[in-house]
Amino acid sequence: MTRRRRRRPLLLAAGRVLAWAAGVAAGAALAVAAAPVTLVAAFAFALAWATGWAPRRLYQAALWCVPMLAAWAAAIALAARSWLPVAAAPYLAWLAMWHLAAAGSVLLAALTIAPVAVPLGLLAGALAWSRRVYAMRTGTGGLSPTASAAFDRRQWRHQVRSARARIAAPGAVPLLSRGGGIVAGAIIRTVGHTASPLAAIPYQRLRSHQVVIGTTGTGKTTLLLRLWAGFLALGLRRHAAGAGHRPLLVVLDCKGGADSRRVADRARRVLRAAGARSTAIWPDEASLSLWALPARQLTTTLVDMIEHGTGGAAYYADVLEAVVALAVGPPCGPPASAADFLARLDPGWLTAAYASAPDGKDAALLRSASRHISDIALRFRTLFRRLGEGLDGPGGFGDADAWYCILEGTSQIAVAEAQARALVDILASYITHGPGGQREILLAVDEFSAVSRRLPIWQLYERARSLGLAVQVSAQSWPGLAPRDDDRYRIAAAADGGIWLLRTPHPDPATALAGHRRSADTARRVAGVALWRHEGSSRMRDEPVADPSIIRSLDTGQAAYIYRGGVTFIQIKRLVAAPPALAAEPITADQASAGPATAAHAPIPPPGTEPHTGSLPDAGALLDEAFGNKTS
Amino acid sequence: MTTPAPASPATAASPARLDERDIAGLLFVAEMYGVQLDQVAAVLGTGESRARAVTASWRRAGYAQSARLGPGGPWLWLTRAGLAACGLPFPATTPALSRLAHLRAVTSVRLALEAASGYRAAGAFWRSERRLRARMGGRVGLREHIPDGEVHWPDGTAAAWAGECWAVEAELTRKTVARTAAIMREILTRTGDYGCPAAQARVPGQPPRHERAVYLCSPAARPVVTRARDAIGALGARVEIRDLPAGAELPRAGLSRAELPRPSPPGTGPSRAGSSRAGPAGPRP
Repeated sequence: MTRRRRRRPLLLAAGRVLAWAAGVAAGAALAVAAAPVTLVAAFAFALAWATGWAPRRLYQAALWCVPMLAAWAAAIALAARSWLPVAAAPYLAWLAMWHLAAAGSVLLAALTIAPVAVPLGLLAGALAWSRRVYAMRTGTGGLSPTASAAFDRRQWRHQVRSARARIAAPGAVPLLSRGGGIVAGAIIRTVGHTASPLAAIPYQRLRSHQVVIGTTGTGKTTLLLRLWAGFLALGLRRHAAGAGHRPLLVVLDCKGGADSRRVADRARRVLRAAGARSTAIWPDEASLSLWALPARQLTTTLVDMIEHGTGGAAYYADVLEAVVALAVGPPCGPPASAADFLARLDPGWLTAAYASAPDGKDAALLRSASRHISDIALRFRTLFRRLGEGLDGPGGFGDADAWYCILEGTSQIAVAEAQARALVDILASYITHGPGGQREILLAVDEFSAVSRRLPIWQLYERARSLGLAVQVSAQSWPGLAPRDDDRYRIAAAADGGIWLLRTPHPDPATALAGHRRSADTARRVAGVALWRHEGSSRMRDEPVADPSIIRSLDTGQAAYIYRGGVTFIQIKRLVAAPPALAAEPITADQASAGPATAAHAPIPPPGTEPHTGSLPDAGALLDEAFGNKTS
Repeated sequence: MTTPAPASPATAASPARLDERDIAGLLFVAEMYGVQLDQVAAVLGTGESRARAVTASWRRAGYAQSARLGPGGPWLWLTRAGLAACGLPFPATTPALSRLAHLRAVTSVRLALEAASGYRAAGAFWRSERRLRARMGGRVGLREHIPDGEVHWPDGTAAAWAGECWAVEAELTRKTVARTAAIMREILTRTGDYGCPAAQARVPGQPPRHERAVYLCSPAARPVVTRARDAIGALGARVEIRDLPAGAELPRAGLSRAELPRPSPPGTGPSRAGSSRAGPAGPRP
C-alpha cells in the first residue's frame, strides 16, 4: 500500500470534520444573526415539548400572527405613502434592532423586531417540532431504537399534565361549546381526529347509540353525568330555538343500593343545573304504569317478566302466555293495576268474562288451561310483591325531563331483569303509541351486565333510530355488554355515536373497532454495545389506531373516545353539582324495595280521616279586609 | 326591550347606598321572581315615577334588570349580583312569559294580604314559592305541588290563628275539578316542610303543615275551585275561597294607564274591584 493510499481515509475524515464544523459554525452564525427568530423558535419548541402540543398548534399560532404582520406592513406603507419600503422593512427593522440593542434599549429592540420575529420564530419552531415528532414516530430520531418509545411516554405525561391544568382552570371547560357541542373535557391526545384543546362532542353523536366501558372507580359516572347533562342542556336549547323536540333522558341504573341513590341525587342536581325542570327517581319517588301498555304488548311484557325455561318447560310457557292473554284481553278491557290483573287470574272470573264471547274459542282455551291458572297467579303474585309498586302507576315518561330508574341488579338480579324489561317496553310504547314520538330520547343503561341476560337491548338498539331513541349502554368490561360475543359485537358495531373506553383490562375487542393506520417502522444498524448507527431501513406496517396498552393504563378520569377510525384521549371534567337542599338520610335498598309508598306516594287519607279535625278559628274578618267578602 | 345591568356592577368598586326601603323592595322582588313597576311602587309606598327612579338606581348598581315583557308596565327582576347581595340562593332568571299573569296575581295577593291590619298586627311572614322551591333544591316530586306562598303566623300574638301556617293559592285559569281537588288534598294533608326527607312529607297521625288553604280565584276559576272544595269532604272546611284582589290580572291591551286598577301599597288598606281606588291618579309623594 502506497503512502498516498494510506493518507486518503485520513483526508476524507478530516474533510468531513471540517465540513461538519463549517456547517455548525454557519448555523450558529445564522442563529446569532437572527437571534430574535431563534429565541422565539426555541421558546416555541420548548413550550410544545413541555406541554405535549401537536405541531399543528404552533402552525396555528404562527398563522394568528399574520394580522399583526399585515398591520405592521400597512403602517410602514402609510407612513412612507408607498408599498416599496415594505420590502426592505424587515431588513431595516433587523438593523434597527441591533443598533437599539447595542445602545442598551433591549425592550425597544425587541418591540422593533417583534412583528417579523414572532411569526417567523413560531413557524421555525413548528417546523423543528414537527420534524422532531416525525423522527421519533418513525424511529429515525434519538440515539437508540428505544428513544421513540421513551419520547412517546414522556409526551403522554406532558399532555396529561396540560389537560389536567386546563380542566382545573375555572371556567376553562364549559358544558357546552360555542359551536354547539357537548364538552367532555380537555383533550390529551388525538389519533385520526382533529386536535383542539377541548373535546366537544356534537349533539347528534348523543342522538346515536354509544357504548361506555370502564371498570369501577375509573370515572365512568363522572363521564356519564357530563354526557347526560350536556344532552339535556343542548337539547333544551335546541328545543327553545325550534330546532328539535324536547329532550328526555331515561337512565336505568342497574346496580342499585345506596350507591345508586347517591348517584341519583347527584344526577338530579347536575341535571337541574343543566336546565331539567324535574328529575324523577324511580321507584323511590315516582312510579310508572305498566298497565298503560297496549293489550298485546302488555301480554308479551308480562310473560317475559316471568322467567321460564326451554325444552319441556316451553309447554308451560305457552300455557302461561295463553292465560295471560285471556286475563289481559277480555271484552271488558285490560287490567288497570296489578291487583286487578291478579283478580283476573281466577277460573271463575275468566269464565264469566268470556261467557259472552261469540265463537267459544276462548272458552275452550280456558277449559284446557284452567288447572294451571292458580299456579300462574301464584307466580305473578310473587313477582309483583318483589317488584314493589313502582310499575303500578300512576305516571308516565312524559311527566319529567329526566328519569333515573334504580334497579336492584346487585341484590336481586331476577327482579332487576324483570324491571328493566318492563321499563324498556313502557318506553318503547311511549315512543310508538304515545307522545314520545315528539321527544328526543336518550336511554342510558348503566351497569348493563346486571340485566343483560334477559334484556334484549340490541333488538331495541337496531330499531331505535327510526323511533328517535338513542341508546347508551355502559358496562364494566367487554364481556359485561352482553352474554354472547355476537351480541357484544352487534352492540358495539351499532354504536355509531362512538365508543368510550375508560381503564379496562381487556379493551382489545373494542379498540379493534377503531381499525389500524399505516406507520413507518425503522430498523437501525447496531454499531456496538449500546451504540446504533443512523443507518438502516424503514418499512410500512399497520398499527392500531387506539393503542390498547394506553387504555389499560389510563388514569382515573381519563377516557378514550373512539369514533370513525380515530381516537381522542380525554381528561374528563367533573361537573360540580349544587349542594343538596337538605342532608337527608339516604333511602336504603330495603326501604326502596318496599315500594314507593313513602313520601309523595303515601296514600292520601280519605276525607274525614286526616289527623287534623279540630275546628279552626274564624279568619274571615282578616280575609274580608284583604280580599273582600266571601264569595261562596 | 331589555334594560341591561352594567357588565361590571358598581358594587364592586363602590357599594350601592341602600336604605331600608330599598332593601325591603329588593327582597320583595327577589322572592316574587319578578314584579311589575306599579306593584313595585306599591311595595315601596310611592308613586310610579318615584319607583321608576328607585329601580333605576338598582339597575345602575347592577342589582336588577327591567324590561317590558308583556302588557302593562315594565317588569323588574334581580340579577345574580342582586340576589347575592340579598343573600338569597336563587338562580337568576328572567320571569318566564308564560308565568307573567300568575306572578302578577300572586304579587297582588301578597300585597293585599300585607296591607291588612290584622296581618301587620300579628307580624305575619310571607314565605314565597321561590323560597319553597329553593328549599327543595330541584327535588320537587312529580306530583308534588308547591303552593304559591305560605303565610306564617307567629305564636304569642293576639290573632286567634297565631301559630298557624296557611297555604295561599292564586287561581287564574280553570283546571279540572279532580286536579284541583288533588292539589287541595295534598296541601291539607302534608305534614312536613318543603325540602324535608321524603318519608316525613306526609306522616299519618302528625298535625298538618297547613291549617288552611286560601284560594284567591279569578271569576273563571272560582266555580271549579268551589266544586273541588266540595269534592274533598271534611277537608273542605279548611279551604277559604275569595276573589283575586283588584289589579291582579295583567292589563288588557287597549286600556289606558288611567283605566288600569292600581295595587294597594301595604298599610293603605285593600283595593277591591269596583272601588274608587281604580281612579286615574293615586297619591304621590
